[in-house]
Amino acid sequence: MNSTLKSLLVSLLLVATFTACGPDALYDLSEDTFQLRDSDSTLVNFPADFKGDVSLITFIYTNCPDVCPAITANMTNIQRKLDDTTGINFIEISFDPERDSPSVLKEYRDLYGLNEQFTMLTSHPNDSDLLLDKLDIVAEKTIIDSLGYDSTNYAMRHSNTLYLMGRQGYIRAEYPAHRVTSEHVKDDINYLRSE
Amino acid sequence: MKPIQHLLLILLSVCFLLLGCGSESNSSNESDTTNKVVLGKVTLDNAWARPGSQQGKSAAYLRISNGTASTDTLLSFSSDAAESVELHESIKHDDGTTSMQPAGQQVIPSTEKLQLQPGGMHLMLINLKKDITVGDSLRISLDFARVGTLTATVPVQIQQ
Repeated sequence: MNSTLKSLLVSLLLVATFTACGPDALYDLSEDTFQLRDSDSTLVNFPADFKGDVSLITFIYTNCPDVCPAITANMTNIQRKLDDTTGINFIEISFDPERDSPSVLKEYRDLYGLNEQFTMLTSHPNDSDLLLDKLDIVAEKTIIDSLGYDSTNYAMRHSNTLYLMGRQGYIRAEYPAHRVTSEHVKDDINYLRSE
Repeated sequence: MKPIQHLLLILLSVCFLLLGCGSESNSSNESDTTNKVVLGKVTLDNAWARPGSQQGKSAAYLRISNGTASTDTLLSFSSDAAESVELHESIKHDDGTTSMQPAGQQVIPSTEKLQLQPGGMHLMLINLKKDITVGDSLRISLDFARVGTLTATVPVQIQQ
């Protein structure tokens, strides 16, 4: 192999590397695997099982009566307004695994009529912080006196975040989850699809 | 029309005007919320609630318009669908996180509206007595200091 060809290959490799994890990548999950459960209790390797697709990822808890359903509504709005949803995953991850078992998530997805493109994920309570910390998602229990308090009755202060993940497991964009416009997300999804 | 008829008509009109102004003046000076004289009315509209599971929570939203001549105060809430109802508010913090807290008693001045909407103030339905799903409707009662109890029929729907 002559030196010109070697230089060309090295240059291409560098370009490929910077394209994948350059300034556009907010978080790199390409080498990570988090074991989660979906609403059918099936084991899911996140994000490995979603690589090759573009994914919208948000974080909720099902005991949340106001903001989290608004986030879910925004996810379905975005889905509805996309001309073509082929190769796009809509993922909602619970940051309250103590209460959000797979069956609870199933109930939530049924209540809100989420279709098969939606994946609801939860984890073992001891494991959830690993993923949340990696993605800078805040989720803290709070107490509302009038509701009383026991181990199963609490509210949460939480991030209001929607991430867009590219095909290789890099988080490429972040939005305010319950109020980002579908047009904005749509443009970014189309950009990632064209890469 | 004869001159005497003209005079009578004018006198009658003046009486009506005086009566009208007098009532309005009385009510606008009222500060005692126990006074039972209520002009105009408080209306509830644009009501809807989110679906929810038995023993779980839901949120309801609506617009309250105080069309009376006096300030009124929201005191309490109840529903046939939940063990209790509280007025809560979602708060956005400087770090971008969101949390929820009781909203406290709401005073609604004359002619003003209080809008309960997603991401803001909402009626939290606590310990639902049964599953509520799209197509159901609930009844939610709001107790005001002056106008008493008003009840809204609230359809269950998915936020669009």
